[in-house]
Amino acid sequence: MKLLESVEQPTPNGSIPSDALLATYNLVVRYGAAVALDGVSMYVGKGEMVALIGPNGAGKSTLLNTLSGINRPAAGKIICNGKLAHVPEGRQLFPELTVEDNLRLGAYRGGSRDPSPMYELFPQLHRLRHRRAGGLSGGEQQMVAIGRALMAHPDIVAVDELSQGLAPIVVSDIANHLVSLNKQNGTAVLLVEQNAQLALDITSRAYVLENGRISKEGRSADLARDPAVHKAYLGGQVSR
Amino acid sequence: MTAFVEYLMTGIARGLVFALLAMGFVFIYRVTRVVNFAQGAFAVFGGFITYSLLRAGVPQGVSELLAILAAALIGLIFGIITIAGDLPLLASLIITIGLSILSEAILMLIWGTTPITYSGLTGHDFVILGAFIQRQYLIVVLASLALFALVALAFGRTYFGKAMTACASNPYAAKLSGINVKRMGLVAFMLGGALGGAAGVLITPLSPMTYDADVSLAITGFAAAIVGGLTSPGLAVIGGLVFGLAEQFVAGYWSPSNETAVALALLIILLLWQARRMRLEGLE
Amino acid sequence: MTERMRSVVVGTTVVIIGLITLAIPLVLSSSNLEIYVDIGLFTIVVSGLSLLMGFAGQVSLGQAAFYGIGAYTAAIMAVHKWPSLVALIAAPIVTAAIAFLIGIPLLRLKGHALAFGTLAVQLILLAIIPETPSFTGGSIGLSAIPPLRIGPLAISSGKDYAYLVWIVAVAVLIITRNLTRSRPGRGLRAMATTPSGASATGVQVESYKLRDFALSAAYAGIAGGIYVFFIGYISPDAFPVMLSIEFVIMVVVGGIGTISGAFVGAAVITIISQILTSLGTSPSLPPQLPTVLSLGVYAVILIAILRLIPSGIVGALSELWKKTQRTPSAVSSRSSEERQEVASAVDGAGRTDSVLTGELQSRDATMVKETSTGQQ
Ligand SMILES: Nc1ncnc2c1ncn2[C@@H]1O[C@H](COP(=O)(O)OP(=O)(O)O)[C@@H](O)[C@H]1O
Ligand SMILES: [Mg+2]
Repeated sequence: MKLLESVEQPTPNGSIPSDALLATYNLVVRYGAAVALDGVSMYVGKGEMVALIGPNGAGKSTLLNTLSGINRPAAGKIICNGKLAHVPEGRQLFPELTVEDNLRLGAYRGGSRDPSPMYELFPQLHRLRHRRAGGLSGGEQQMVAIGRALMAHPDIVAVDELSQGLAPIVVSDIANHLVSLNKQNGTAVLLVEQNAQLALDITSRAYVLENGRISKEGRSADLARDPAVHKAYLGGQVSR
Repeated sequence: MTAFVEYLMTGIARGLVFALLAMGFVFIYRVTRVVNFAQGAFAVFGGFITYSLLRAGVPQGVSELLAILAAALIGLIFGIITIAGDLPLLASLIITIGLSILSEAILMLIWGTTPITYSGLTGHDFVILGAFIQRQYLIVVLASLALFALVALAFGRTYFGKAMTACASNPYAAKLSGINVKRMGLVAFMLGGALGGAAGVLITPLSPMTYDADVSLAITGFAAAIVGGLTSPGLAVIGGLVFGLAEQFVAGYWSPSNETAVALALLIILLLWQARRMRLEGLE
Repeated sequence: MTERMRSVVVGTTVVIIGLITLAIPLVLSSSNLEIYVDIGLFTIVVSGLSLLMGFAGQVSLGQAAFYGIGAYTAAIMAVHKWPSLVALIAAPIVTAAIAFLIGIPLLRLKGHALAFGTLAVQLILLAIIPETPSFTGGSIGLSAIPPLRIGPLAISSGKDYAYLVWIVAVAVLIITRNLTRSRPGRGLRAMATTPSGASATGVQVESYKLRDFALSAAYAGIAGGIYVFFIGYISPDAFPVMLSIEFVIMVVVGGIGTISGAFVGAAVITIISQILTSLGTSPSLPPQLPTVLSLGVYAVILIAILRLIPSGIVGALSELWKKTQRTPSAVSSRSSEERQEVASAVDGAGRTDSVLTGELQSRDATMVKETSTGQQ
């Protein structure tokens, strides 16, 4: 019964533009009997930077995995008018392969396998290119993970928990790279974060996902001022 | 001394053949997590197919190559039967048990129960330190070393080889990069088939092949693979040599009838050692 | 409510089937009685193996070895003038103790090393027996095993053994059922059937697996003990590797982890094997035909069941039953669905190549009305 309601309910902030790069309509994803996504409608426009914030277990990673085809939706629709690349939670590198091999495998679907554009984006990777990826620091690994995704020449890159386990200074460095990538190449970014401050700072629009539903959406600056969001995600600790 | 050299040579040659089987286990396990019980069957098919091709007048080298290709094809078919679709691992493992007895039935139907053999590439036997060594032993050593080098090159140097390593290393990330992990699993089965087939082609001239040799070949190959925790091809080669040498020295200096029991006891010890290692490293 | 009712129904069915099995020996011919005893013995072995496979997610390819260890324990003790009942009771205890010792390290290995480890145990046993003639009778075996006496009762006729076997079998089935219905049993099952969730509860899981492994060996041991008194002699030929594989096939055919599946699998495979033997042994046919036929048929049955009805005969029937019972509002057959979903999330490689490439511009994600309305 509850689900039916959510399916019929229009998304809080109006409709999804027809020229959206990536959009989901009333997406439902289940793990067995457990509902992880319960009618999620969201979109990312061309060249846009969008944040997806929410507590642990809200379904953020599930959404990304569904966009990438790892999970199969039980209901709903996904439209993707471009190439999406996914930087998974926890980096998920190939630890025994070198940095360069990790990057090159990002181009597995086709296109140039030359990793040098990634060395331009992240100059410190050039020096590490023959090192095993498993031996790098967390920040370096995150750069490799982003670089590997970018090797697919995506129109939109979805980054899951960019800041996880990284020192704040490293996070802001990598975040700056994402912003400049977005400015220079027009690559759209969907940034999944528990660190809402960072995510709302660098994006223009944002969604709040709670218990598998979008509970709030709007301009990032507005959400950052929203008392409820402020209390739950910016004030103190992140609630469970 | 003469006997020692003879055991050593024989042990190395047979050990390398076990290593080929072991590497088949390793590649299939790494990509699919399936312990392929039918691994020994590839070798039996390899031996019997070579035998029939030779009798049909096909030249030696060609027969052996064709037999290896046929084994690769059988590997592919076994792979499809084992992993296509969404089967739980347990089901896949049991299916490979079924494939092992299916192979025995097919082999017995086509070739009967009489053991077969054929002579390897012709040429003179030679003498090392007074020991008489069949030329085939040298061929086995060279051929398997060449195969190991080929496999190492394919994995270490080619993009496809690295994609396969990626599947073994992190299947989820491999999928995100667009690698079809299932298809890579089938390639691994083909590779396992080819390596197993090569093992059979090489060992049949040394010791006659029977339709039901697959279980003992599989268990020796598995034992060798366990040395590298089922995931390290390099350690699997060492494992193969350990078993080849142990078998020859036990048979030679003690009694041939203890050969199997010692090999199996060694396997159990290895399993225990690996279990302990895993516990120590918290890998459980 | 339905849960309890179902368990009452199942319980009653088990009792009724038990009574029928006890009545059957009265009407069987002596050769059929032998088959009947075999089915009972195999039911005992298979219910242990099914427990191990279904609830611990492990395969033992040495179950025939445990059967053999039980048989040899009973035979050697009886030959050495121990009371036959003591010998029979010692059979499962010795077997379980050996399995326990093997299981401590083997069950800790990842993947399915237990399958090869137990197979190795069996091959070692088969290699050792011919080398120890003074103790085990070597490859010739032991004969003149004294008959079984339980107190004043001499168990001698086929009918006596049929009763003995089936009383033990029913007892074993009840023990297994109680074990699997306990909370840890269910937890273990969840663990066995999801590929990744294994080591979550670590030590506890390990000890349940070990318990199931030792228990499965004990079942095989008592069956072996009864077998040796029934046949009256013993040799290593009675415990080939193929027998271990047959046990696995019986589990799969009946339904992995189902209690009644143990009986169904044992019965179906024993009867098929009888038919194949009688089919293949006509003098005009080539001598290896029976073997080819039985290996081939076993292999095809095993693979076909796992591919087509992975829950086995009993599992498939009970799913069918549930489907007919299902009301429109109660859609999900949860446990199995859940399992598959989890498996595909972790393991489903086939569906990855769409979105990222952008080749598939619009992925219509199956707007199944029924599924979305069914969930409350
Ligand atoms: N593979 C899985 N199997 C079963 N449940 C899962 C799986 N992955 C995630 N979940 C559950 O789905 C919910 C959403 O998880 P997730 O998408 O990882 O949340 P987030 O990324 O927002 O922290 C959680 O309750 C989690 O326990
Ligand atoms: Mg997450």
